[in-house]
Amino acid sequence: MDGFLLVLWAVRLLFLGLIYLFLARVIRALLRDLRAAAREPTDRPGRLIVLESPGGEPLAGQSFGLDVITGLGRDVNNAIVIDDPFASADHAVLTYRGRSWYLEDLGSTNGSYINGRRVDGVAPMGFGDELQIGQVRMRLERASG
Amino acid sequence: MMIGSGAARRPLGRTTIHVAIVMSLAFALLAGAAGYWGVVRAPELVRSPNDAAVIAAARTVPRGLIRDRTGRLLANNKKDANGEFYRVYAGSALSQVVGYASPTFGRAGLERAYDAELTGLAGDPLTDAFAKFGARRYDPQDLTLSLALDLQRAAVAALGKRRGAVVMLDPRTGEILALASTPSYDASAVTDPDTARAAFSALQADPALPLLPRATLGRYVPGSVFKIATAVAGLGSGAITPRTTFKEQPAAEKNGLLVEGFRVQDGHHPATGATALDLVGATEVSCNIYYALTGLETGGADLVAYAERMGFGSPLPFDLPTAVSQVTNGEGRQPGGFADDVELANASFGQAETFVTPLQMALVAATVANDGDLMRPRLVTALTGDRSGTRTIGAASMGRVISATDARAINAAMVRAVEGPLGRKYTSGAKVTGVTTAGKSGTAELGGTGEPHSWFIGFAPAENPRVVIAVLVEQAGRGGEVAAPIAGDLMTLYLKGPS
Amino acid sequence: MTGDAAGMTGTTRGPALPRVLGPIRPRPRWLELRLLALVAIALVVGSLSLGATVNASFRLFDARGLAIYLGALLAAHVAQVLSGRRTDQVLLPTVAMLGGISLLLMQRLPQDLVTQTFFGVTLGLAEVQLVWLLCALAVATTLGIVIRSDSWLRRYKYTWAAVGVGLLLLTFVFGTEINGQRLTLQIGPFAGQPTELLKVILVVFLAGYLSENRALIVEQDTRLGPLRLPPLPYLAPMVAMWAIALGIVVVQRDLGAALLFFGVFLAMLYVATGRLSLVVIGLVLFVLGSALMATLFDHIRTRVDIWLDPFVDPLGAGYQVVQALHAFARGGLVGVGLGAGLPEIGGRPPIPEVHTDFPLAALGEELGIVGVVAILGLFLVVVERGLRIGAAAADDFRSLLAVGLALVIGIQAFIIAAGNLKVLPLTGVTLPFISYGGSSLLANALVVGLLLALSDKGVEPPPSPRVSSRWRRMGRRSAA
Repeated sequence: MDGFLLVLWAVRLLFLGLIYLFLARVIRALLRDLRAAAREPTDRPGRLIVLESPGGEPLAGQSFGLDVITGLGRDVNNAIVIDDPFASADHAVLTYRGRSWYLEDLGSTNGSYINGRRVDGVAPMGFGDELQIGQVRMRLERASG
Repeated sequence: MMIGSGAARRPLGRTTIHVAIVMSLAFALLAGAAGYWGVVRAPELVRSPNDAAVIAAARTVPRGLIRDRTGRLLANNKKDANGEFYRVYAGSALSQVVGYASPTFGRAGLERAYDAELTGLAGDPLTDAFAKFGARRYDPQDLTLSLALDLQRAAVAALGKRRGAVVMLDPRTGEILALASTPSYDASAVTDPDTARAAFSALQADPALPLLPRATLGRYVPGSVFKIATAVAGLGSGAITPRTTFKEQPAAEKNGLLVEGFRVQDGHHPATGATALDLVGATEVSCNIYYALTGLETGGADLVAYAERMGFGSPLPFDLPTAVSQVTNGEGRQPGGFADDVELANASFGQAETFVTPLQMALVAATVANDGDLMRPRLVTALTGDRSGTRTIGAASMGRVISATDARAINAAMVRAVEGPLGRKYTSGAKVTGVTTAGKSGTAELGGTGEPHSWFIGFAPAENPRVVIAVLVEQAGRGGEVAAPIAGDLMTLYLKGPS
Repeated sequence: MTGDAAGMTGTTRGPALPRVLGPIRPRPRWLELRLLALVAIALVVGSLSLGATVNASFRLFDARGLAIYLGALLAAHVAQVLSGRRTDQVLLPTVAMLGGISLLLMQRLPQDLVTQTFFGVTLGLAEVQLVWLLCALAVATTLGIVIRSDSWLRRYKYTWAAVGVGLLLLTFVFGTEINGQRLTLQIGPFAGQPTELLKVILVVFLAGYLSENRALIVEQDTRLGPLRLPPLPYLAPMVAMWAIALGIVVVQRDLGAALLFFGVFLAMLYVATGRLSLVVIGLVLFVLGSALMATLFDHIRTRVDIWLDPFVDPLGAGYQVVQALHAFARGGLVGVGLGAGLPEIGGRPPIPEVHTDFPLAALGEELGIVGVVAILGLFLVVVERGLRIGAAAADDFRSLLAVGLALVIGIQAFIIAAGNLKVLPLTGVTLPFISYGGSSLLANALVVGLLLALSDKGVEPPPSPRVSSRWRRMGRRSAA
């Protein structure tokens, strides 16, 4: 075996090795991600179920998993898009802090209502409370059901 | 409208995990398949003539040479106008054995059977694995055959324009000395790039089937030469002894032997009169009645069993592909596969559904010649490569078929068949002057119109046989008249050299 | 933080979320950068090995092509960093590695397998593939950055279905026949395979349909004797799917696409409903349908015969598969090295259509079983990421969409890899990201782009302890 061939094979095997090194790093990242996901106590801190939606967007009966911060409004960049003539572009924000939910109305034209009472700025929300934005009624529920 | 509770509430996560598991298993299956083709089946595929690397190598790496037992070249390489190699051969006498290796027409004969070695790709997987790290991958092997070129040429010349085959071997080692089939063809014409196409189409169109190696792949009715096999089965199984006689045999000579309503006729030997013949006597005059009775006494199962010990019933372990010789087609319900006793009786003297290759009959004779221990037939005796050196292929036994005593008894019977006062009449040309010669001729009736096949099997010298021969001439008439003299001439040539 | 509650009314086109949560700013993606660096090093070493094999000296084989490709990867990475979205960081490098291997393979094959003239410039195989790879990267990155809402997919599912069926019919009627298959639609100088786009449309439609009707399909049954079937109005689209799949096999003679569509359909059905019985029924129907097709149509029967034993006719019908298996055999465990395999027969690679149908066999010969397993692993990573994105998605539609997209790539890769290895009959689908083919690369880039968009984890939640005081301050201000 001459020298050139030896080095050539070393390079070839190195190429294969590098592909495996890449694969190993990727798998390590995947496992880390999976383990982090498994460690979360629940998948989501809660969800919002749409009770009534005359406009069709969001769909009545649909259930949205909520993040720690979830935006609601007519603008398509919101996590929950509410296509209702009485909803503002950025209507409200639902957040989960400590162990409680809070709804903040972002100064919408027609206001947000929890259990029929209008929200001034920030108000706490509990599981089972009904939220109304425009003509859309939703209910806050636990994640697992 | 509310979404119902229950099943719909089941999160998608669980089913997603199931899908993930199924996909992983599916891909693991693919990895396994890759392992199967890359490791398990690889050694066989890498040597196959369809492999692109093999085809590419054939054009640039000189193929291994093939030599006969004295070292004379049987197959060589020449360069054509483009600098690529093509094969040339030492004459048409060898074509059935050596075959040809052509880029367009594939390979035949030994060129095909040993293609991997000749191309230089054979080797154990370990060498294969490291070969790709080395600069030279190919180590073409030269083949040394046990064939004797002069004998081979003489055999083909002896057959002349007739269709037939000659097999000559050394019973002590199993080495094949000559393996001739006629009509033959010129393999060099097939491999020469200028004449290849025309030559090959002509060969395929020829009704005489020159491409058929009759010695190994031709199946023929054996006729009386099969009686030796019956004798082996009879003595080996203990059904008869060399001194056994059948009292109904002399009478049946005149009237025929009645077996289940069928008359087995025999018309060869009024000379024996009313004597009940024993083994030696019956073999000398080739008595059908005696052998029919022996076969019936032995029984179908034992007849087939002993035949199988000599190689019947499956392809022979040989360097070239062989056709399967059979005693019966096996579809009958009787022991051994015979339909009834009539078939058994007829098979005992080589008629009925018995079909043999000339090589198989040579092995039958070799069994007797080597005192009951049958040696495996071999063509290739050594492989020589630049890197791997010389590897010899030694003799191997196919097993002990019968005891030495029994073999000697049959040996004596076969000597009488050639040299005895009555036997001489049927096989006169077979005797080698000054050497005790043993043998058996055969005239295989084909039924209907057409001449019978002419057969002879034998060996010499009988006390310590050095050569076994089997000769078949298609539809040439009586065995004693055609096949026997050919056998005698060839055995003389081998034992005594050219005159 | 200044802010006027009144000023927040009306439609604002600016930062998508209220200022209280902070504007979007460029976010570093270190994991992606590290992985891309590894990809770059690996590809450079691979190019070195190819160059050394071909030129007998240690030089990069096609430095310019490789540099362009790596530059494009860097650009894609920077674009994603600038966009600031928290999208998946593993997908792009994995796809980049597959694309890089494809590039090396195409560089290594004879360049005249494909020639295309773009605006008077004639390009060979590797150059055309590079162009398509760059386009694919652009598509995937753009989609990953730009798509922020899924309503355009979710709401118009029947429209999408109609577009899909329309495309299919167009190809049925106007498609050009190549090798007895009507797969290509030619518009001017561009020839594409609409089947590739169709698979994405199919997933979008199914995701929308199944997420909407999930509960109904699962819970209400029509009883047909001992079988529990979903309610009839919902059964109809599924039977239509089955009919379309078989139609593709018959008219287009594209066994692979039919397998792919039906496989994705069944898998998504299972993920959505969890009902194994539906899958089993579907499989049984498909097998029966295929068996019927096999008896009626010769071309399918030949394919199945060649699959069962290609060695019966190694120089005729089984030639392609036999040569592919021989390539795997020659490769062995570690292969013969990039550029050293595929001994030529008559000046051509021994495997016909190696750049489209059998890239895995070529890689099997040059990179060995070790290489093939690595590539299979890379595909599995893409599938896993997609499934993970699906499992973490906010709602059913996004979940099913991600799962479906992941499966589209995974099942397609499985089908063609299995065809190369004689585990399944050979079909005409391409190996995603590795086979030569513009439509294939673009469609799969579309899939990856959508997956990236779906993987956006949203704005990072603000750190926990300091929020309470901020909330109290905000509450006072809004009340004013």
